[in-house]
Amino acid sequence: MKRSSLRSLPLRAGALLCLAAVPAVAQETDPFNKLDPNNRFSIELMIDSARNAGLPSDALRSLALEGIALKIDGKRIVDRVRREFTLLRTARTTLGPVSDEEVKAAAAVLNSGAKPAQLAAFKTREQGRSDLQAFTIWADLITRGVPSEEASSAISKLWEDGADDAIFYGLWKSVQTDISQGLNPGAALQNRIRETPVRTPQSKGAPPEG
Amino acid sequence: MNEQKVAILAVLTAALLVPAHRELAAQIASKLDAGQFTVNDGTVPSSALRLAPTFEYQTPYATLTAHGSAFVTEQSLQIADGVLSGTFTSPTVYGVRAEMIGNASRAVDERSLGTDQVDVQTRVHVLFHQRGGLWLGGGVARPWRVAVISSADVADAGAWTKVGGATFTATFTNFSFTKVASVHDTASSALSCAVATSGTVPGAASAMRFVADDAAASSACERQSRFSDLEGSVHWELGALELNAQSGYRFGDSYDVTPDSRRWSSATATVWLSDRVAVIGGGGRQPALPLRGLPARTFFMGGLELAYWPISHNTIPVSLPHATLLKSFDLRPAEQGLEKIVIHVGGVETVEVMGDFSDWTPLTVTRHGRDLWELALPLSPGVHQINVRVDDGPWMAPPGLPTMHDSYDRDVGLLVVKDNKS
Repeated sequence: MKRSSLRSLPLRAGALLCLAAVPAVAQETDPFNKLDPNNRFSIELMIDSARNAGLPSDALRSLALEGIALKIDGKRIVDRVRREFTLLRTARTTLGPVSDEEVKAAAAVLNSGAKPAQLAAFKTREQGRSDLQAFTIWADLITRGVPSEEASSAISKLWEDGADDAIFYGLWKSVQTDISQGLNPGAALQNRIRETPVRTPQSKGAPPEG
Repeated sequence: MNEQKVAILAVLTAALLVPAHRELAAQIASKLDAGQFTVNDGTVPSSALRLAPTFEYQTPYATLTAHGSAFVTEQSLQIADGVLSGTFTSPTVYGVRAEMIGNASRAVDERSLGTDQVDVQTRVHVLFHQRGGLWLGGGVARPWRVAVISSADVADAGAWTKVGGATFTATFTNFSFTKVASVHDTASSALSCAVATSGTVPGAASAMRFVADDAAASSACERQSRFSDLEGSVHWELGALELNAQSGYRFGDSYDVTPDSRRWSSATATVWLSDRVAVIGGGGRQPALPLRGLPARTFFMGGLELAYWPISHNTIPVSLPHATLLKSFDLRPAEQGLEKIVIHVGGVETVEVMGDFSDWTPLTVTRHGRDLWELALPLSPGVHQINVRVDDGPWMAPPGLPTMHDSYDRDVGLLVVKDNKS
């Protein structure tokens, strides 16, 4: 063996060790490694299934990562991811060909307690109109204790009347203030919805604001 | 148990179930410990059902706590003690935080009408990024209906550190007061009177003053007392399991420290069965508390903790803001297609955000002024879940954003990022 080869042997060995260490480091940084292999397999299977079904699989991944960050039990994470998968599929089926973001937001509304049929009003929409703000306000109202039926009825009505993001946000701010002052959540929504301005039928076709 | 006491118990239990308005800056927390409690000092039934409700009203820089305990036997409901505490904490400035603590308490046992105490204490804390800290404090305590007849000077110092899920604390506390020693008091105090009377110990008599006439001099005297407690404790959280253990030693001469209070150790374990129900078990020895007229005792306990809005465990010896009031939270367009999170909150050391956009990894927000904090992020259009925390406190939904209970039953903020292209 030549002297130069002998000299470079430690360097080559070092390089090999470094290369061998790369996958190990990658494994260490993969948060899914903190899961039990069976739970990890279940979650990855659901993520793949969601991707194949045209559902926003990143929502499932994010939910699993949140559970891992919170040190939630692996089985509970699998249960929650499975539930989210079902919600995403239901939202997609109900709303039809809408964006992934809208499917995720609709799934959040369902997770809050709304029923799939209550999403039907959002199936048809004017071009370029986004229902994201409406969905977040809807989820918040249910979370604050507004009965699901009343919240969905109010949000659907506003949506059908052509309310824009600013109107939804204004309604939410008013109801939030009333609830924090001790008013019954359902009554607060009913009071404020009567004061909420909506577009006239003539202007319904105008592009949304914001 | 008479009807009045049953009514009090029912009201306490019902109050625990009153939901709190979490969207307010202040919030109410409550818990009820219920279980079997066994002691060997004879001041309460040797083994009885113990009920201990606790309520807390928390604002960002003040906490009001009411705590009590009662023992239920077949015949009666015996109130054991009650404590009303208030804590005011200053904002942290360059890692230094001031704290003022006030307590009013009453302890009741079967042998007396009860003892009362009011105490006020001030502490200055030095915090090292809330992973560790030191404190120095002092205050006065005024007891009534106990052998201690003066205001007691209390001085303490300590250090704590967090290692993983464990918090280690070491505390040194010095008590200085005047007490009445009599043959009806502890053995060591009786000895001190006897010694003073006979004058066999040089110097001992100088610290004493007889409080009765000659006829009674042999059974009652005043003396200056002083003792110091050195205590180490650990709080360890491991998933649903919480362990608390403490051990201590009391310095002082034999006139002030009874043999049964010289050393003590105790431990409790809490296993959370759900977010609101836990099983608690433990036991050990507690030293005498002369200022409250409580003797040393050995205890064993086992039972349930019901927490409608769980009270955060004070794992470190400083009251951190429970729900620091964020003044505002905004999202603004930034350079290079980024979105800038802008938060206004004063008097804190660290601000962090996390959400789906960070794979739920905490991101540090940078301070840009006295109370201005900013962080530029590549947020895609859509709805993002986001939470914020200050000074390693609890994660909370940012103010001014719609919120929802997420899949793990936590409140998260919903941030709508609009597609600027459309």
